[in-house]
Amino acid sequence: MTSLFTDINQEIVSGIALGSIYALIALGFTLIYKATEVVNFAQGEVMMVGAYVNFFFVTQFSGMAGGLNGWVFTAALLGSIIFALLFGIILDYIINRPLKDEPVFSIIMATISLAIILRSLTAMIAGPISLVPVSPFGNNTIKAGGVVISVLDLAIIICAFILMALFFFFFNKTRWGIAMKATSADAEAAQLMGIPVKKVYRYVWMFATLVGVISGVLLAPRMALLDTTMAYLGLKAFPAAILGGFGSIPGAIIGGILMGVIETVSMGTLSFHFNWVKEINDIIVWIVLIVVLMIRPDGLFGIAKVKRV
Amino acid sequence: MLKMIGVETFYGKIKALHGVSLEVLEGQLVCILGANGAGKSTILKTITGLVEPEYGTIHFNGQRIDRMDAEDIIKLGIGHVPEWRRIFAELTVKENLQMGGFLLKEKDLIHERMVEAFHHFPILEKRKDQQAGKMSGGEQQMLAISRALMLKPKLLLLDEPSLGLSPLLVQDIFATIKELHKAGTTILLVEQNVNHALKIADYGYVLTTGKIFLSGTYEELLDEEKVREQYLGEGKYNRRAKVWSG
Repeated sequence: MTSLFTDINQEIVSGIALGSIYALIALGFTLIYKATEVVNFAQGEVMMVGAYVNFFFVTQFSGMAGGLNGWVFTAALLGSIIFALLFGIILDYIINRPLKDEPVFSIIMATISLAIILRSLTAMIAGPISLVPVSPFGNNTIKAGGVVISVLDLAIIICAFILMALFFFFFNKTRWGIAMKATSADAEAAQLMGIPVKKVYRYVWMFATLVGVISGVLLAPRMALLDTTMAYLGLKAFPAAILGGFGSIPGAIIGGILMGVIETVSMGTLSFHFNWVKEINDIIVWIVLIVVLMIRPDGLFGIAKVKRV
Repeated sequence: MLKMIGVETFYGKIKALHGVSLEVLEGQLVCILGANGAGKSTILKTITGLVEPEYGTIHFNGQRIDRMDAEDIIKLGIGHVPEWRRIFAELTVKENLQMGGFLLKEKDLIHERMVEAFHHFPILEKRKDQQAGKMSGGEQQMLAISRALMLKPKLLLLDEPSLGLSPLLVQDIFATIKELHKAGTTILLVEQNVNHALKIADYGYVLTTGKIFLSGTYEELLDEEKVREQYLGEGKYNRRAKVWSG
């Protein structure tokens, strides 16, 4: 039995790593939803584009540097960050501005179209083949308390938590952060304070795209092959956000991490012992989604919705 | 100070303002009266650029503002306390005031203005770290006014400050408005509470279905039988009923 137990610990650690990526993606679209009421179904594609762009930078820079080293990865990350911020500005102009006050249905259709366009464009530009992503940390692992954790997973967890901590500091302590909260609570009243809401929306999209792209950069080396199906992983951040309580920022983070753990643990334990549930990880999140919607539709941290007409 | 000429505002295809012209002189307290849905709030929203007028012009201190963005209009020195207060319920009282001073670049100045607000309304200081949405309606109204005063506007637009408040609080709020006016703020007040409003106003406009229907000083308006009939509850409603039944 002890072996099963350490197995579970192992799965939990690995689940937290995967979950922190879900949390980042969920954070991205929760932020957009809260501020602009646009549900961005393309957040997973943003993540995928981020992974591709980072891959591109890594290959370019390693070509220039004559090999892979820490500087190549750092430079590629910086390049991806700059790309993310520009990409956020573009998405604000082409998606957010024209659609902001349209009916929900139009917004959903438009962001789904955007998702498909981004996937196809990526496949067109990068070619139909799968890429082999490289991890900056190789296959190194650390052992702690009977649990083996890969340096990559550790780095993912640390990066995600640093990002979230920065995010919380920004939102609760800075002038622009509080202005974002004010705008998402009542955009009209925010305008009356002289808060430039259009600029706030732009920053929100830039920020959401940034966390999306970074989650792509972090997730890619965890996968054996990089192709456009990676975007579907981003879709799992929706059930994660609903589990946490849609529209709640702590909910997105905790829901994301929980979902990662549920997925990895169910795959690790169940499919290890029962061969026929091999692909359980792909459906478990959707099962959780349905159960949550049935018994607790507001999620763990759900806030009762009061809408002013 | 503020001059609107022939302003027409639409919500989609619905015309909310049918050529409204009005003027507010420096130092005046001007009041807009009218029933629900007459377009009173729309006038204020059009002034601060929350909705854009289709026709007409609005000038503030000689500068045309009817095509400007809300934030630029606020920068010129117009404060707007919206209907139902619209404080940021999730933010603390202090953060609400900070947002009121968003355009102030210096932290000291924000702090200074906040101290002034606390001086005016000591209850706000007691509640400064509390979530604003948890306060009573009267306290929220005080916060909403203080928030708009953070930028020391030259012209203050007040949209039904007495809405949903108990009679005692209504008196307090009107006393505050009077004080602000005395201290030199020009005020454009929208009210349904006609008795209170006209008593403190220098000039009044009566609005019906998006049109200015009457205007004048307190005495002039009181003399108008129509105002008394429609807004002061002294008239014969039968006559109106007959119009409706044809």
